[in-house]
Amino acid sequence: MSGWLKWTAPAAAIMSVASPGYAMQYMSVEEAQKAAFPGASFTEVQAGRVWKASNGGYFYYDHVVGKHLLIDYTVAIGPDGRVRKVEILNYRESYGGEVHDANWLGQFVGKGSQNEVRINSDIRNISGATLSSTHLTEGVKKVLTYHASHFR
Amino acid sequence: MPATSANLRRARPLLGTFVEIDLDDAPGHDADEVIEAGFAAVADVHRLMSFHDPDSDVSRLNRDAFTRPVLVHPWTYFVLKTAVDIARLSEGAFDVAVAGSAQPSAGLSPRAGSAVELLADHHVRFNHAGVKIDLGGIAKGFAVDCAVEALQRRGVRSAVVNAGGDLAAFGPRAQIVDIRDPTAPERILCQLALRDTAMASSARRFDPFRSADTTESAVVNPATRQPARGIHGATVCAPTCIVADALTKIVMITGQRAAGLLTQFQASAMLVAADGDILTTPDWQGDLQHAA
Repeated sequence: MSGWLKWTAPAAAIMSVASPGYAMQYMSVEEAQKAAFPGASFTEVQAGRVWKASNGGYFYYDHVVGKHLLIDYTVAIGPDGRVRKVEILNYRESYGGEVHDANWLGQFVGKGSQNEVRINSDIRNISGATLSSTHLTEGVKKVLTYHASHFR
Repeated sequence: MPATSANLRRARPLLGTFVEIDLDDAPGHDADEVIEAGFAAVADVHRLMSFHDPDSDVSRLNRDAFTRPVLVHPWTYFVLKTAVDIARLSEGAFDVAVAGSAQPSAGLSPRAGSAVELLADHHVRFNHAGVKIDLGGIAKGFAVDCAVEALQRRGVRSAVVNAGGDLAAFGPRAQIVDIRDPTAPERILCQLALRDTAMASSARRFDPFRSADTTESAVVNPATRQPARGIHGATVCAPTCIVADALTKIVMITGQRAAGLLTQFQASAMLVAADGDILTTPDWQGDLQHAA
């Protein structure tokens, strides 16, 4: 009952299973728009960044960049100026320093969820130490501040 | 209306981390609705059990529960009851009372196992002044369980809910999970095929937004009020995620001595000891990723 098994090799000898990066595509900007304001039409207010919905709401597309992580997300703001929905469109992680490399980022441009980007060929779930979403929360606040000063 | 199943995978920022729901086999016509219900359950747990939101059950308890019994949501009551039971069974290694470590000037506070009184009709009272609770070590696992229940109630046959590494999988198809090496998060230490199982991991804190360095542990030993230092990381598989979540904290603090408790909860575990050794319970199902 209390006998633990020792897996021979110390952690230092364990090889990476070739995962310098992990990426996940959840949805496209268009899908996020439809999900946030079903049935609405969208007029671009700022190219590729801000749209006004026909119901009076606004839709923002933004990203947060960390040292090892890049996340594209959208914020839907209702006609009342309150956040209606935050969606993560995609997520990519890299420990090779490529996050800030324009070419590395370029490979993701224009990909929709029907055209999935996966660095690992099969979809995996990751467990381990928790990733903090603090940066994303700050990003959403930034979007709200911007919205309040420009479109209200 | 399509009778076929749909696959849908979505992620939202909740509980201070990224919560992902992957519907593997959902009724095709309302997959969006179903996934909303899953996230709504997680958001409800967040709202009820946030330490920082002044309107949460946890904040109301921390404000008033010593003065008078406080009525809480049945979910909060259930989480508290589980926490108190596990605190007792672990002889205090798991403890939701935080006042002593959050406010050093307050001195050591009594353990949750004895300070939290669970009264009838979902009322809760604290029997010591200065007791504060933080359900951060257990609520995330509970939120995963709630999301799973919400999905199953709506006819989902197979799915994974992953709240920043605390996750649960159900359905006929095994779901592959990679466990990060707690000493080097860019590496994968172990791979498991999960089926109708929950899993949670703890490690010395790391945040790839800022750096890959693994520094001080977020897990605090209630006996010493010091961060747990003996273990690099622990992963526990258990029938429910709330139990897996709590047990990882205990393994981080008590290490191999947690074996009896793991057996008691039908849980298996893997840990990376301070010297780098990887230890597992005999019933651990994962494949270690060996060097070729």
